[in-house]
Amino acid sequence: MKFETTELRYKRVPAKAPLPRGRAAVWQARLVLLVMINLAQLWILSAAVDAALGHEFRHLLPLVIASGVCWLISVSIFFWWKPVGSRQSGSA
Amino acid sequence: MSSDLSKAIENLISDEQDVRAATSPYQAEFPYERDEEAQVTRREFCNFLVLTSTALFVGAAGFSAKAAIDASKTPVLPPMPIDGAAELQAGAAINFHYPGDETAILVRAKDGTYAAFGQKCTHLSCPVHYAKDHDRLECPCHEGGFDAKTGAVLYGPPPRPLDKIDIETHNGQIYAVGREVRGSEV
Repeated sequence: MKFETTELRYKRVPAKAPLPRGRAAVWQARLVLLVMINLAQLWILSAAVDAALGHEFRHLLPLVIASGVCWLISVSIFFWWKPVGSRQSGSA
Repeated sequence: MSSDLSKAIENLISDEQDVRAATSPYQAEFPYERDEEAQVTRREFCNFLVLTSTALFVGAAGFSAKAAIDASKTPVLPPMPIDGAAELQAGAAINFHYPGDETAILVRAKDGTYAAFGQKCTHLSCPVHYAKDHDRLECPCHEGGFDAKTGAVLYGPPPRPLDKIDIETHNGQIYAVGREVRGSEV
C-alpha cells in the first residue's frame, strides 16, 4: 500500500502566481480594518439596545450617527480603497 | 490516451483548480486540505464584512427609531379599581395586574401613603417585592433596591426607576389610572 506524500499532493495542484507582497498587504489591511469596524458597530448596536431599554433616548442619535460613519468608512474601503495595478505601481 | 482521459476526469471532479499553489514552507509542512482553503476567499470575506456592516447599521438605526417612536406614544389606559387596597395595612403591599396582565405592586408606606409601581425590575425583569423591615422594594435576583415611595433606584444594577402607576382615590376606592415608563434621568 502506497501513501501519498505531501510533496506529491502539492504537485497535483496547478501552480498559480502568488499575490505580490504589496497587494497582499493591502488586502490584509482592508480585511483587518473591516473586521475592526464590524466590532465597533457591534459595540454600538449593543449600546443602542442598552440605551433604548434604559429609556435614555438622548444617546440613541449619536450612536446611530456613529454606526453610519462606520458604515460609510467600510463602504469607502470596499469600493475605493484598492491596491493599485501593477502598471501604476511600477511607475511610482 | 487513457491517462489523458483519467487526468481530464480528475480535473473535472476536483475543486482544487482555482487554488493558489503552496508558496511558503509552512504550507508544505502542514498538509491541510486544499479544498478547505478554497471555501472562503479574501474577496468573499470582504463582501461578507461589508454586508455585516450594513446590517449592523440598519439594525442600530431601526431599533433606535422603533424605540423612540414607541416611547413617543402615550397610550390612554382605562381606570381600574385595585381590590383590597382600602383595607391594606400600613407597611404592607399587594399585587395586582395593570394594565392587562402586567404585574404591579401597590405599597402602603408606614406613614399611610400609597404608591404603585410595575413589578418588573428594570434590570432583568425579575419581580420585586416589598421589604417591610427596610421600607423599600427589593429585587431578589441581583440585589437591586428601589425606594418604596418614588420607585427610584437605591442601589444595585437596575438602570432606571420602576414604572410608575398613577393612582387616584374616589369614594374611598383606589384606582389605577395610568402607567408611566421613566428613564434614568428621573
